[in-house]
Amino acid sequence: MSIARFSPFELLLLKSRSQVDTATLLLLAWVLVHRQQVSEGQRRRRLAQVTAQFRHGHELGPVMGIAHSQDLQAIQLAAEVVRKECSKEQSLSVLHQAISVATDDGEISLNNHYILCFLADLLNVTPTTFSTLFQELTGRPLGSVEDPSRDAYWQVHDPEYHARKARDAQAARQKTKDAQAEAQAEAEKRQRAHQEKQHSKQRQKDQARSERDQRQRHKQQQERARQERAQEERASQQERAKQQEQQRWKQEQAYQEEARRQQRQRERPTSPPDRTHRALAVLGLTPGASRADIRRAYRRMAQLHHPDRFYSGSEHQVALASARFQRVKSAYDYLMQHT
Amino acid sequence: MRDLYQRLTLTPEASDQEIKEAVARCPNSALRQDAETALAISEHRDVYDKLHRTVSDIGQLRARLGLTHGAHWQGDVANDFSLPPDNAISRHDELIERVSFAVLLHNRWRRFKGPWLLVALFATGAGIGLMLGLALGLGLSMG
Repeated sequence: MSIARFSPFELLLLKSRSQVDTATLLLLAWVLVHRQQVSEGQRRRRLAQVTAQFRHGHELGPVMGIAHSQDLQAIQLAAEVVRKECSKEQSLSVLHQAISVATDDGEISLNNHYILCFLADLLNVTPTTFSTLFQELTGRPLGSVEDPSRDAYWQVHDPEYHARKARDAQAARQKTKDAQAEAQAEAEKRQRAHQEKQHSKQRQKDQARSERDQRQRHKQQQERARQERAQEERASQQERAKQQEQQRWKQEQAYQEEARRQQRQRERPTSPPDRTHRALAVLGLTPGASRADIRRAYRRMAQLHHPDRFYSGSEHQVALASARFQRVKSAYDYLMQHT
Repeated sequence: MRDLYQRLTLTPEASDQEIKEAVARCPNSALRQDAETALAISEHRDVYDKLHRTVSDIGQLRARLGLTHGAHWQGDVANDFSLPPDNAISRHDELIERVSFAVLLHNRWRRFKGPWLLVALFATGAGIGLMLGLALGLGLSMG
């Protein structure tokens, strides 16, 4: 076994007249190091003041140095010593000292909040005891610890940053809006130009076509006129007779059609109630049910017959359920449209 | 408090560029916003880093002292900063062991009358050296 060198804190502990006091001293120094806005001299004076009754019998300087270097092994050793040697009353007094050292100016730093919680756990002090002790010493309850890993913390502690960010975001939004509007205007302009071009082309084409058509029509008309004049005399008598017959037939058909339509209209009011009855029966309702009733019944039936309910069942069951569901749904749709 | 570095799969020494990339990569929008606020601004990051160091120290201490399930160690902090308890022997026991070993060596040294032993060793060494030197000198003069 190789013998490692003793660390400064171990030497201090070995030379100390009271190991518990030395260990407590280091833990208090650790708390003091995490006090904010305190000068080094003030820290040292405060530590000396708190530990006036301690019996360690060595200088405070080295302890402060160890606490500043945040030597985890030394702190662990101190914690072990304190836990092993402290009685119940002693542990309360240690916690008492730690709280007073941490909150002289009223404000407890986030670091110290965690450290005090650690000490409370280390010394077997329950949360209720700890919070009453804290309340007695500082006059304020120990709230839950704030969380700088969240946005909300910085909204409280650095509102300027959020205001700046909001302003930037708004500027960016405005810029994108402007750009969009510009792009849209550009697109519209282009489209209009395109349409105009197409229009002019179309107009040219139309003109050419109409000219051609007119020439053709003119020729045809001349030819037709010549033929008609020849035929007219021959066919005029026959045609007159035929036209009369056709007119009579058309009139008759129109009359029949009218009669049929009237009959259909007379029939329609009788059939929908029947279908409404059936639809209501599908939903398990009697005639005269209100829309609210229908909706409630539909909800219940849909829940009852939804194919997803039979997901674990056989394929046949699912198919049956989906058929039932379909019937319920179509009945409901019909009723919603016709009542 | 949550360990943003761990949640973004970064180390606490990550550069600003790495943080920016990791934040952009993050699929959770709430976490992205929190990380952007806490880590992208250097003053915010200083505050966060200081607390992060303290809390991870406390996490280590709790793991070594068996306090990972303490009444004051709950929620996000406990989730992100608790380490598996290691079975390293306690510092105090180790210190006692080392002191006892040192005492044992000291006692042995005393028992064998260490200083006299040292003098005797030195005398024999010097004698052998003299003898060798004498023999060498004789050999040279003979030759």
